[in-house]
Amino acid sequence: MSPSEAPSRRAFALGLAALFASACDRPPRPSGEVAFWFSYGGNNRKVLLELIERFHQEQSRVHVVATFQGDYFEGLIKLRTALFVGAAPTITHVVGEVVPYLAQAGVLQQLDGIGAESLADLEPALAQAGTFEGGENEPLVALPFNRSTPIAFYNRTLFDELGLRPPTTWDGLRDVARRGGSTGTAARWGFECPVDWWFWTALVGQAGGRIIENGKVTLGGTAGVRALELWQTMVHDDRTMRSPPGRDFNAWEATNGDFLAGRAAMIWTSTAFVRYLEEHASFSVGAAALPGDVRRAVPTGGTFFVMPKGLPESEQAAGLTFLRWMMQPKQASEWARRTGYMPVSKAGRRELEDSGFFREHPNFAVAVDQLSVAERWPWAPSLFRIQREAVQPRLEAAVAARLDARTVLAAACAQSEER
Amino acid sequence: MSLRPTKAFHPYAMLAPTLVLLGLFSIVPLGVAFHRSFFAWDLLTPAEPVGFDNYRFLWSSGELLEVGWRTLAYSVVVVSASLTLGLALALALNREGRFYAFVRSAVFSAYVVSWVAVGLLWLWLLDPQAGLVARVTRGLGWTPVDWLGNPKVVLFTLAGVTVWKITGYAMVIFLAGLKDVPRSVLEAAALDGAGPWQRFHRIVWPLLRPTAAFVGTTSLILSFQAFDIVRVMTQGGPVRSSTIFVYAIYEQVFVNLRIGRASALTVVFFLLLVGLTGLQWRWWRNRPRAKTTL
Repeated sequence: MSPSEAPSRRAFALGLAALFASACDRPPRPSGEVAFWFSYGGNNRKVLLELIERFHQEQSRVHVVATFQGDYFEGLIKLRTALFVGAAPTITHVVGEVVPYLAQAGVLQQLDGIGAESLADLEPALAQAGTFEGGENEPLVALPFNRSTPIAFYNRTLFDELGLRPPTTWDGLRDVARRGGSTGTAARWGFECPVDWWFWTALVGQAGGRIIENGKVTLGGTAGVRALELWQTMVHDDRTMRSPPGRDFNAWEATNGDFLAGRAAMIWTSTAFVRYLEEHASFSVGAAALPGDVRRAVPTGGTFFVMPKGLPESEQAAGLTFLRWMMQPKQASEWARRTGYMPVSKAGRRELEDSGFFREHPNFAVAVDQLSVAERWPWAPSLFRIQREAVQPRLEAAVAARLDARTVLAAACAQSEER
Repeated sequence: MSLRPTKAFHPYAMLAPTLVLLGLFSIVPLGVAFHRSFFAWDLLTPAEPVGFDNYRFLWSSGELLEVGWRTLAYSVVVVSASLTLGLALALALNREGRFYAFVRSAVFSAYVVSWVAVGLLWLWLLDPQAGLVARVTRGLGWTPVDWLGNPKVVLFTLAGVTVWKITGYAMVIFLAGLKDVPRSVLEAAALDGAGPWQRFHRIVWPLLRPTAAFVGTTSLILSFQAFDIVRVMTQGGPVRSSTIFVYAIYEQVFVNLRIGRASALTVVFFLLLVGLTGLQWRWWRNRPRAKTTL
């Protein structure tokens, strides 16, 4: 090949640039297509996909391509990366704690276009305004769908045998954990709970504290310390509580697994597992509200639908059509009935009440009833960092190695202030 | 036939594919990581320059030393155990016959299984309640060890699983090395009265040293890059006791949303690995040469 035949350096550079450009720019989605990233597994995933299938049967204008993205935190990782490279989906769902952070980063689309009718039907305590202090003053960027609270599940068969009742106080919790456990060949823990931010927050609220008070991160002050010390006492002194291994949802799965295998008499987990636990247990499963200390309190959990900013208008419209349909009473009540999450639609909740569903399935009513003591999260962009970076990694160490709770939380407070 | 290139650019053209791939996927990302290590950035909001703050934080918080020592401990176990076991197995199985071929294949088979599958398999085996190991232990009347739940044990459990997986690889490389040991020399030594240990010590081992250097270096790099096994089996826990280097980088990016800190850890990790590899090569090279007389 003579030099004149060789491709010029400039042409090569241009070709490379074109290759990169084509790799980085996401091609527009076909008209009416909605890319939906979800993080539901097991039964919840099955129910979701069936709902989407029905959505497709009822209309043909919008087509939802649903893609599983791992658990909530894995999904969030992928969302952030996708936002960065401009390949975000039309809709996804994120945990409540991260909503203020994403909103402040300016990556979420305002969702007023969902329509006044849909908004008016939302269960106030589960919507953005009711979930966050000051959430009503922020632009609407998050719509609820799978919302939950932590609840207690107990082995009703065992409890009946032992004459136990679900505890309503912290002292009662320790007593039931002591009496519900056993040693020997069929060893069983009286109580098991993931050593996780969500359950610790519940305890902080019950002990009368707040994570952020008057704009300052306090992690509950004395209440936070008492919450952590309760776990330490139950693990090390009473030896009645198992702190399950694994991080994030691995510990939750271990907790459910121990409960189903009869290795734990009572657990704390999410209301999202009502249906799953009932269907997979070889014993009668009971659900109960969490106990109180100086007061009764639970945080809300689960996720909100969000839409990344900057999508073409037609894609936004298609996404909103799907969301509007999902939040309709029929879908909201079906989702709640088949999973255990709370119905986010007021009409959907009424439907469940009127049809006698809650009477027939009292376990499903526990979380809904518990909403009356649900506490709002602060609308703080730092909330997610406080959770993931300052508190969560310290809880496990504090419980496992019985570190001084006050020192641990002081360090967490100091790190929470870090930018 | 002359090996001189007819055109001056031919060598570069031959090297180009490798250089482009190396540049795109190794050198450029490393340069980007180095640059990013001087910023605070979460991917979503604009990056802010912070000078050496990321490095300072990693040092002052103890993160760097903790993760560094932990990784080193894990690597020492993995490299020494896989090297020793791989060599022992190669010596034991360097024989003709179907039985030996079967055992060689069985040992090597673990190496071709994916890390995720290996992790899941061992998770089940080591489950403190329902795992096979715990059942056998209980059956013998002993108290089962919480292999993955005890912070003092977990790192060595992961190292053990890693050794189980990669020993087959070390064995195969050593077997290849053993094929290069001249049979005539070994036979001559045997005739001269050298026993098995003397033959190994004076002939086989000196000739296998370059192979051992290769196995040692690749095992070292592999052990420093361990991630899947941690992600699947422990997620860095309990109490961060199995958080080794690559997992710590993953945590900084994907859990803490701190790209700058993750980049700083990456830079340190790279320098550490280069340093250790260099030291290891130097050590193997500076070992006294084989004596040619018995």
